[in-house]
Amino acid sequence: MNPEIVPIHRKEFLREDGMLFVRTDGILDTMAKIPLLVASMIIVAAVMPIQSSFSSPRILDLIIYPDGSTHVSSEIDVDPLVTDFELDLFGSTIDNFVVVNENGFLLTTDVLGNSALVETFGSSVITVDYDIHDLVSKQGRVWTFSLDAPSDFTLLLPKNSAIVGMTNLPINMEIINDQNQLTLSAGEAEINYLFGTIPNIPDPTIPNIPDPTIPNIPDPTIPNIPDPTIPVDPTSQSDNLTYAIIGGVTVAAVMGVVAIIRIKQKTIKPIHDQQTVQKTETIDTETIDTETIFKLKPDLREDDKEIVRFISNNGGQVLESELRKKFLQPRTTMWRAVKRLERNGVVEIEKKDLQNLVKLRKNMEEEK
Amino acid sequence: MKILALFTIFVLIFGTTSTSLVSDAYAQKNTKILLDIATQADTQILNQLDRSYGDLVPSDIQTLYEKGHAAVESLENSLPDNVEQAREDFLAAMKSFMEITRMISEPATEAKLTTSSDTSDRDLKSELNRLHKYFQSLKTIFQKHNMETDFSEIERLFVLAYEQINSGGIEEITTTFHQLESLIHIKNQEIREYSSNSSSDRIIEFALKQLKRIQTILEDPSIDTSTPEFENANSLIAEIKILISEDNISVAKEKFGELNKIMKIIKRSTVE
Repeated sequence: MNPEIVPIHRKEFLREDGMLFVRTDGILDTMAKIPLLVASMIIVAAVMPIQSSFSSPRILDLIIYPDGSTHVSSEIDVDPLVTDFELDLFGSTIDNFVVVNENGFLLTTDVLGNSALVETFGSSVITVDYDIHDLVSKQGRVWTFSLDAPSDFTLLLPKNSAIVGMTNLPINMEIINDQNQLTLSAGEAEINYLFGTIPNIPDPTIPNIPDPTIPNIPDPTIPNIPDPTIPVDPTSQSDNLTYAIIGGVTVAAVMGVVAIIRIKQKTIKPIHDQQTVQKTETIDTETIDTETIFKLKPDLREDDKEIVRFISNNGGQVLESELRKKFLQPRTTMWRAVKRLERNGVVEIEKKDLQNLVKLRKNMEEEK
Repeated sequence: MKILALFTIFVLIFGTTSTSLVSDAYAQKNTKILLDIATQADTQILNQLDRSYGDLVPSDIQTLYEKGHAAVESLENSLPDNVEQAREDFLAAMKSFMEITRMISEPATEAKLTTSSDTSDRDLKSELNRLHKYFQSLKTIFQKHNMETDFSEIERLFVLAYEQINSGGIEEITTTFHQLESLIHIKNQEIREYSSNSSSDRIIEFALKQLKRIQTILEDPSIDTSTPEFENANSLIAEIKILISEDNISVAKEKFGELNKIMKIIKRSTVE
């Protein structure tokens, strides 16, 4: 056998020292391309959400009234460089159509059939509100809601209604003032419901499952305190494990940041500044009386009252993120609550360091 | 640079994996919600069957109910591990319940047709709630525009209307409702008129800013200046500026639309 015909690469592979030799110019070439690769990844990551965001609602909330009419409320990102925006409506029987821009200014609109032309003129976000009569139909005692939604949305069903059929898997369900609120994915959805008139029959075979149609359901806006008398559900256990991992890391990071900020504040803030802040807080607390607010606004929801109390106890102003932390609410739910309070004239929202600062209004009595 | 590259890659990988972690948690929470909804529907269906038929439930409906109830039981058993099975069970249960509801609802409606005074009350209350929501939206807009206006009569009528609904006076509530509609309509006209007038400043500001931007684009050396579109764009810019100075906003808006269309053509031809 001739040893010269053994391939060279095999010979090298069988070297006794076991070292691997690689061409270095290839590595240098790759290294030089890394910044380009990284830059393109960042650009792609940044541009993708912008491209997909225009015209698709970032918030879409629907409220079904007992007579089947539906209130649609949506917030849409629009191109600030164009003069108008063509909005697709969910039907043609529209009432009470209102479109405002990010500053709350009313925009001129022209509703034509299933669409509306909104004169945006530089606005980047529009909030659309209208009532529609096309989304719910009734057959016998069964009410059917159907919608082909352009984005994920929430749907608040009427009081005393019970879902008896649906074609989609819901993302979430909450109970708000004894009403079911579903969060559903984008796409076609059909939900059948009826108004429950007879009390629910207790089923002994189904243990510990909360029924939203029964009164005294815990308020979802109040943080849950585990009841030791209730057996732990295995599903919630596995939920907790995943949440604990994510939550643990987040809490550690937040605590670290808070600790650093506090240390910095302690070292930097002069004593007379601290006194001024304390004085201001005292004045605010004196001027804002929650009971007066509740008397002036008797229609406020209980969960909204809790928010008002919390803001009042914090000197009359609080960051929206703090409200979310306090009430353990998702961003959209808390934003809706705050906007509801703003609509009721209880609070005003200001921007502070790119965050929403929610302040109790001080001239409510004068308005009244 | 190497550290930056590694950091970016780490952020991207963490971003991707954290989303899947959250989705996983979400999926598990989701299955619990499915069980809640299915159980609620099951109980409601049972109530409806009891109400409509008592102990004499027709066999086809009974079969459908058993199918749906079995799916709910299977859904409960498949939790928390078998998420896919749980989803299938949920859809199967809801499908059965949907069919049952359709079957039992029709004859009952015919018997109950328009006899219920609840329906009228409910409709009026819904209408009033909708109108109140609309009024709140308008009121907020008034406040945003710092417009001083008197809402006391509307607010008084809303209080009265809700009282009338509770006391059941259909005629009175209808009258109050019409009064409210008409007053809110006046307020709506008022705010739209004001908004239309005050928006001209916003439109002028927007148009001037955009004209400046468009002019910068037209000054780009890569733009072919020999095309008719280029000439049209420049003449439209001049025309819009004159219209704005004459406060002829509505025509300026139209011309601005034309200019945007031309700019799209110019941009397209430059890319090609």
